[in-house]
Amino acid sequence: MTPRLVDIPALETERLRFRAPQASDFAVLEPFARSDRARYIGGGAEKDKRHAWNILTVLAGHWHLRGYGTFVAELKSTGQPIGSMGPWHPITWPERELGWTIWDASVEGTGLAHEAMLCLRRHAYQDLGWQTAVSYIDPANARSIALAKRLGCTLDSDALRNHPDNLVFRHPSPAEVLA
Amino acid sequence: MMIPTLTTERLTLRAPRLSDFDAIAAFRASDRARFVGGPATKSNSWGYLAALVGHWDLRGYGRWIITETGNDATALGITGPFYPYDWPEPEIAWTLFDAAEGRGIAFEAATAARNYAYATLGWTTAASFVHPDNTRSLALAKRMGCRPDGVHQHAEYGPLHIWRHPAPQEVAA
Repeated sequence: MTPRLVDIPALETERLRFRAPQASDFAVLEPFARSDRARYIGGGAEKDKRHAWNILTVLAGHWHLRGYGTFVAELKSTGQPIGSMGPWHPITWPERELGWTIWDASVEGTGLAHEAMLCLRRHAYQDLGWQTAVSYIDPANARSIALAKRLGCTLDSDALRNHPDNLVFRHPSPAEVLA
Repeated sequence: MMIPTLTTERLTLRAPRLSDFDAIAAFRASDRARFVGGPATKSNSWGYLAALVGHWDLRGYGRWIITETGNDATALGITGPFYPYDWPEPEIAWTLFDAAEGRGIAFEAATAARNYAYATLGWTTAASFVHPDNTRSLALAKRMGCRPDGVHQHAEYGPLHIWRHPAPQEVAA
């Protein structure tokens, strides 16, 4: 049994349910983190299982340290976890991020990440009271850049970066999103 | 369920917090962390702190921050049952920050952690993995009654000597 140590809000969209990261996610996260698709977030084929396990523990721990965190999204239809996404704020980062990582390549192109991020951005603004949010994206990560633009984000060249190579995309304000 | 708090004669073992970051980052940036994957950057230490708490979620147990009772804001070290993915078995782990050395604090805290593993988690055996050059940790393992029980070759940390703790019935006796 895995004890639940914080209250995770119950959020869902038409096709997705959001929940806390859990040990069983390792089966889906691990092949992703050790694949070429993870190259923009520090993963890759040369990484070992330890790297993937560490990601999962950090995802879970962030909830306790911050009181909020990144969810695992699962398909309502099958229960299959497809990725991690949501509010994220390592202590060394200049500001709070809305992040997304699609572990399951088979759901690419289905609009699920967009559907998820609309809900989770609303959660950050409405429930957590964020006044602004960014997404840090590797300039070569064309899929994520396309999603950021579809979410109405604009490139913020003046913002501090979490990593010197990353671009900063700023989300529309709460007033625009919650209107 | 919350992360439980343990108390000993002098110490309070409590859940890690965001405010422990400075103490943890300072330790991990120092030469003292050379046996546990350091020296490490701040960014790496953030991940370490988050993973420290996340382990509780994924395993149902984990490591506490060691504090002196009455001063729970000051982190003196880290101890508790620890089982990363690539460990051959769960261990009782300990880390002491330099300000706390020489007062038997690690012994007192690690003993409480071992008692918790045996009495509350129901472990029937416990090990601790110690780098052979880490003389202070080695001394603590011996003081806790541990006996050498082989070597685990770790991909990142190198050879870790396995020290086997006395069995639950020996400790309770």
